[in-house]
Amino acid sequence: MKQIRIALWMGIVGGVMTTVAFLMSFFTAEVQLFGTVSLPQQIKTAYPLLGTDATGFMYGRPWFSQKIFYFHVPFAEASFLVFTVAAYFAVRFLMTKKKEYDTSSRVAMEVALVFVVLTLITGDLWTKASWGVWWEWEPRLTTYFIMTLLMVAYFVLRNSLEDEERRAVYASVYGIMAWITAPISFFITRVIPSDHPVVFKSGMATSNLLPFIVAQLGMLMIGYAVYVIRVREEAMRERLDVIKDSLEG
Amino acid sequence: MTDVKQAARISGMRQFKAILKKDIVMELRTKEMLTSMGLYALLVLLIYYIALSQAGRGFDVTNIAGGLLWLAIVFTSLLGLNRSLVHEKDQGCLDALLLAPVDRPVIFFGKAIGNLLFLLIVEVFVTPLFMIIFNAGKYAHGISTWGFVGLVLVVGSIGIAGVGTLLATMSVNTTGKDFVLAVLFIPIMFPLLLAVVAATWAILIANPDMAVYWKMIAVAGGYDVIMLLAAYALYEFVLGA
Repeated sequence: MKQIRIALWMGIVGGVMTTVAFLMSFFTAEVQLFGTVSLPQQIKTAYPLLGTDATGFMYGRPWFSQKIFYFHVPFAEASFLVFTVAAYFAVRFLMTKKKEYDTSSRVAMEVALVFVVLTLITGDLWTKASWGVWWEWEPRLTTYFIMTLLMVAYFVLRNSLEDEERRAVYASVYGIMAWITAPISFFITRVIPSDHPVVFKSGMATSNLLPFIVAQLGMLMIGYAVYVIRVREEAMRERLDVIKDSLEG
Repeated sequence: MTDVKQAARISGMRQFKAILKKDIVMELRTKEMLTSMGLYALLVLLIYYIALSQAGRGFDVTNIAGGLLWLAIVFTSLLGLNRSLVHEKDQGCLDALLLAPVDRPVIFFGKAIGNLLFLLIVEVFVTPLFMIIFNAGKYAHGISTWGFVGLVLVVGSIGIAGVGTLLATMSVNTTGKDFVLAVLFIPIMFPLLLAVVAATWAILIANPDMAVYWKMIAVAGGYDVIMLLAAYALYEFVLGA
């Protein structure tokens, strides 16, 4: 019970923090004027690029679409963190064969999937506003797309298996393999020869860093709260099933 | 006492050879897998022609040749992996193997090397055909080019066969079978495929970029080592379920 209470409080605090970060990002954070987009040739962007300076192109007007980064990067980091948690529980399940570890692993994957979808949506909005295209096969985006596919495949595998124990074992095995693949593909997409330069470099001033950190912590808290509540829900569902079976039998 | 134990215990090598031999003998009897994989690869080449049919007569496939070749190999291997394990499941062979006093890792190696062998045979058949049909080898520098291409094929196929065996053993027990195998297989293979396509490209272009080639071979080799270790460690759990 105590854990649920903590989780609920964290969820509320996390929600408040994320909202605060949202407000901060518009009111207190420095408005970025230049985009640090470094490309050999001009790309079609949502608004005109002025000349270049040492770090990159100058945008013709305040770069509001950068604001979405306060959410996009925390989402991405949170998603990989929760993915790691899911892989950890998968390893524990294979070691101990206790069902609660499998449930934890699955719920963590669900939370990670939510974060992943949010990352992709915010990322797409950002790329359209800043680069003028909806998608670009840039190393980070490609790796992230692969990570999305790995997580979706995890759920496809789970849904295609009937037997509970087998489902848990196979899902854990695949979860571990997927978790190993994600960093490898990050590394490889950077190493293969390609014409694409790394398009975005960013340094953030302190006033920018604060909403970023607040958003990150807030999101992780919400993620944790959702995870704990979901695990409790699954545990209760199981108890319900056991009671139902004993009543029928 | 130990003497009796030693004698009764069949060595891992013998177990491995027995499993491999079983697969090869079964294949030689029916020739089912090789012919269907070979035909399938041929049909994929036909589809390539259809895809490139409007690209113009003088279309130079050199830049995309590596990608096309590996695409054909991936689809063919999906087919082959699925089939090799469907037999095991339907005939109850996998259960029999598990009942016999065979080490689990040996089963993994036996199956994986068997799949690797079949994949390599199909590649030996398809690659020259592909090169000829699409004139992808026009910048080749004689035998050394084919040696390098062969090396890429081997390194890539090792990864495909090893990880594919693990994934196929899982997917054959699902309700989706081939579909689930494809969904599981392609994202995990992604890094390896990027590397081997880059290596193949580096060899087939007009001025082969050997620096890129060897770097990509190293990357693909690294992937193989890591993923094969992981697959080897996890196979036991998959068989136990």
